[in-house]
Amino acid sequence: MEQSKKIANRNSLIFALIYGATYLPAVWLLKYRVFGQPISIIIALVPVITFSIFIFKLIKAFSVMDEVKQRAQLEAVVIGFSLTAMLVMTLFLLSLCDISNPGWFGYANLLCFCWLFYFVGWFLSKKKYGV
Amino acid sequence: MKNTIKVERARKNWTQEDLAREIGISRQSVNSIETGKFVPSTVLALKMAKVFGVDVELIFQLEDQD
Repeated sequence: MEQSKKIANRNSLIFALIYGATYLPAVWLLKYRVFGQPISIIIALVPVITFSIFIFKLIKAFSVMDEVKQRAQLEAVVIGFSLTAMLVMTLFLLSLCDISNPGWFGYANLLCFCWLFYFVGWFLSKKKYGV
Repeated sequence: MKNTIKVERARKNWTQEDLAREIGISRQSVNSIETGKFVPSTVLALKMAKVFGVDVELIFQLEDQD
């Protein structure tokens, strides 16, 4: 059991790195190089595929955690999701007032904020449960 | 919910690490349960009672505010 937990954790970490290793080059290529549309779509889909695998492995790692760690993760996800939803709602409402700043709150930034909020939630729940 | 995990551990001369290994959770999780930060599921409470060789009611007791 302990061994399967370690393997699941290691797999999720490996696929997180693979996702990062595909996402950043894909962004760079799509931003600074000019390709035909079919090639661009393929480049854009590669990180989506690696991200899907990463999420699958992450869920698998959650499922073999003990119940205290599962609770901490659940609260981290709830906090992360709630804060992201709040930010998106705020941006939407501000855009109705013609106030928007795509430089700080574009799609790419929202992705970063989403992960940031998850880690904030993780930090808080880890502190709460001491795990 | 209060618990007597620390007392039962002392009786067995077990560390948190020992108890964690016996019931298949992490040491941090044992600490979280022992200090009352987390209330375990029935299954985990029963596992603890089993490894300590006592009734579950002896380890976990309701308090007035529960």
